[in-house]
Amino acid sequence: MKAREKERTLRERFGAAIRRTDVTSPGRWCLYVAPEAIREVCRFVFREMDARYVISVGMDDRPYSGRFLVSHNFAFDRDGILAAFLAELPPDRPEIPSIAGEVPAAGWAEREFRDLVGIEPKGHPYPKRLVLPDGWPDGVHPLRKDHAWNEVPEDWDDEVTFRFDDPPEGCTVVPFGPFHPTLDEPAHFRLYVEGETVRGCEYRGFMVHRGIEKLAESVMSYNDIPMLAERICGICGCVHNVAYAQAVESAAGIQPPPRAEYIRTVMLELERLHSHLLWVGLACHILGFDTLFMQAFRIREPLMWIAEKISGNRKTYSLCLVGGVRWEITPPLAAELRGILDRLEKEWNEVAQAVGRDRNIQRRTRGVGMADARLVKELGLLGPVARAAGVDIDCRRDHPYAAYDRVEFDVVVELDGDVWSRVLVRVREVFESIRIIRQCLEKMEPGPIQTPIDEELLPGRIGLSSVEAPRGESHHFVVTGENNRPRRWRVRAPTYQNLQGVPAMIRDQTLADMTIALGSIDPCFSCTDRLETVDLRTGLVKVWSQAELEQLVRARKSH
Amino acid sequence: MSLLSKVKEAWVGLRAGRVTLAYPAAPAPAPERFRGRPIFDAAKCIGCAGCANNCPAREILVYDVCQEIRILKYLGRRCTYCGRCADVCPENAITMSREFETATPRIGDLQQRIELFMSTCQRCGRCFDPPSKLDELKLRGYRFDDLENERWIFRSSAYLEGQPVVDDVPLEMD
Repeated sequence: MKAREKERTLRERFGAAIRRTDVTSPGRWCLYVAPEAIREVCRFVFREMDARYVISVGMDDRPYSGRFLVSHNFAFDRDGILAAFLAELPPDRPEIPSIAGEVPAAGWAEREFRDLVGIEPKGHPYPKRLVLPDGWPDGVHPLRKDHAWNEVPEDWDDEVTFRFDDPPEGCTVVPFGPFHPTLDEPAHFRLYVEGETVRGCEYRGFMVHRGIEKLAESVMSYNDIPMLAERICGICGCVHNVAYAQAVESAAGIQPPPRAEYIRTVMLELERLHSHLLWVGLACHILGFDTLFMQAFRIREPLMWIAEKISGNRKTYSLCLVGGVRWEITPPLAAELRGILDRLEKEWNEVAQAVGRDRNIQRRTRGVGMADARLVKELGLLGPVARAAGVDIDCRRDHPYAAYDRVEFDVVVELDGDVWSRVLVRVREVFESIRIIRQCLEKMEPGPIQTPIDEELLPGRIGLSSVEAPRGESHHFVVTGENNRPRRWRVRAPTYQNLQGVPAMIRDQTLADMTIALGSIDPCFSCTDRLETVDLRTGLVKVWSQAELEQLVRARKSH
Repeated sequence: MSLLSKVKEAWVGLRAGRVTLAYPAAPAPAPERFRGRPIFDAAKCIGCAGCANNCPAREILVYDVCQEIRILKYLGRRCTYCGRCADVCPENAITMSREFETATPRIGDLQQRIELFMSTCQRCGRCFDPPSKLDELKLRGYRFDDLENERWIFRSSAYLEGQPVVDDVPLEMD
C-alpha cells in the first residue's frame, strides 16, 4: 500500500517523532507527530514528497483526551491519499510551531485556529486576527468546548473597527468592498495603488461568519447537519451536503448503496453544470458583456427546473443523509434529464464556438489575474484556477468518491494561468459533466438508496472527505462524537484557499482588472448585518449599528 | 476572428427561446415533489414527537400540558422546508404541500397548533419508530418546550452543566 511506503519514508527520516500512524482505509491516513517536529515533517511532506496542502484544523479535545489537537491535512493526489498529520498539545499551554513559513498555504488556517480555538502558532509570519470580529475580547475562543454556542462575551464591543496595516511608500489606498457592484457578498480589499497599478492589498473578510461548525458540534445531530451544511453556500450547497455525509461515512465505515452513489454523482454534476453556466454569465457581466450573461442564464434555467423536479427545490436539494440519499431518480425523470442534457449540449456548443474566438473577451482576460503553477503549489489554489495553470488536479479522479470511479471523463487542463484559461476550463468542463451524467443514467442499477444504520456511531473516529466543487476541492474533516453528533466538523470551502491567492494574482495589474481577476476564482463569501441610510434632504449619513438594527426589528415585531 | 464570433453570438441571441415565466400573471404550478409549506394533519398525528426531534431548524415544539394533553406547535418562521418531518413521520400525518406563496405580515398565518389527546401510556417517545439509529428520539418523556417564547428546550450537553438551559428557563439536566 502506498500509505505504508510513505510511512516507512517518514519513519526512516524522523524516527520517534512519528508517534503513531493509522491507515483507516486505502485512501485515508492519520499520523500522530510529536508537536516539536511538526514543522519539519510538514515541510518534508510538502516540499520533498510533493503533497498538496489542504487545511489545518484546531480542536479542543480536553473533555475526551485532555489535550488540544491540531491536524494539518495534506493530499497525495497522485496516490489517492488524504492524510491528517495530528499533533497533541498539552491543555495548559496550547502552542505549536507554525508551519506557515514553510507551507505558505497554511497562513489563514493557522490564524483561524488561533482565533477560534486559542492554539498559538509559534513563529507565524503574520499573526493578525482573521475570523473573529475586531471588538471580540482577547482570550475568548468560541470553538472551545467550555464556550456555549449562544454565549456572547460581556466585554464584546461592537464599535471597534479594523486596524489596517500601513500602505507601502508612494501608494494610494483604494478601498474595494465590502459593498461593490461586482461583489455578491461582503469582503473588503484595501488595494494599494500606484497610478493605475495595484501594488498589493490587505484583505478583511469573515464579516458574515455564521458559526455553523459550533452549531453543529453542540446543538444539531448527525442527520440534521446535512441540511445545515448545504446552506454554507448558495451555489454549491449540494457539494457540502455530500462532503459532510461522506466524511461521517468515512469515519464510521458506512458504505452507501451503489444507486445512492450514482444519484449523488448526478446531482453533483447537475450542480456543476448550473454553477459553471452561472459563472460564465457573471464573468461576462463583470466584463460588461450582458448579452452573453442573459444567454447563459437562459440556457441554465432548464437545469434548475429538472433539479426542482428531482429534489423538490431549485437549489437546496436536501439530498444526503448519512448512508444514502433521499430522492430517487425515476425513469420518467431520467428521460427528461437526458432530453435537457441534449439540448444543453447543443446550445452550449454554439456559445462555446462563439466565445472561443471572441477577441473582445480575450483582450480583457488574457494575461490578467495570473496564477502560475508555482503560486498554485505555494498557496494551495484549487479547481479551475489550478487547472488553468496546468496543474492537473481534480478530486473526482484523484480521490474518487460517489460513483466517479465508474465513469469516464477527462480532466480539463489549460496552461496559461490567466483568466482566459479559467474561462476555457469552465466552458469545456460543462461538456465533461454532461458526459458523466449520461454515463450515470446508463449505469444506474435499481436498488435501495439508503443503507440501514442499526448501531450508534462510535465516538472519536476521524473522517476525511474531499468533493470537487465547481470552484475546487471542498474538504470536510469530521471527528465523531457522543450524543449523536460530531465532536468536531471542519469545512474548508475552495474559496478559502483561492482567496489567499488573490493578492498575488492582482499584483502589478491595472485597477480595472481587479474585478474580473477576483471574479475568476468564483468567490463565495456569504450575508450582511449592517445598513446605511442617507437623508436625502440634508445629505446626512447615518450608519446603523447591529444593536440599533436589532432594536428596530424588535420594536417592529411588537406592533 | 472576432467579427465572425460576434455574428455567432448574435445568432445565439436571436434564436433564443424564452425561459421567463409569466408568473405571477399566470399561475406557475410547482412540480409534484416540490417541498412547500408542511401541513400537519391532526387526525393522523399520534404525538410521538419524531418530527420535533428531527427538525434541523427546531421549528416544531412539543408541550405536555398534563398527562393527557400534548400540544404540538409548528412555528413557520425559519423552516427551511427540508421535508425531514414528513420523512420521519410514522403516520404520514405531515405532507409537504406545493404552497410557496407564503409571504405574510402575520406569522400566525403560517403557524399550526395541534392539541392531542394522549392516552395514559404517556406515549413518551416510544411509539416513534425511527428510520435509523441516527434519527432516534434523544428527548423522551414529557416535553416542555417554551411555547411563549417559541423556543425549543432540550436537555442535552449542548448546554454546559450548571448553566440555565435557555437563557432564563432553568431546567433539570439529565
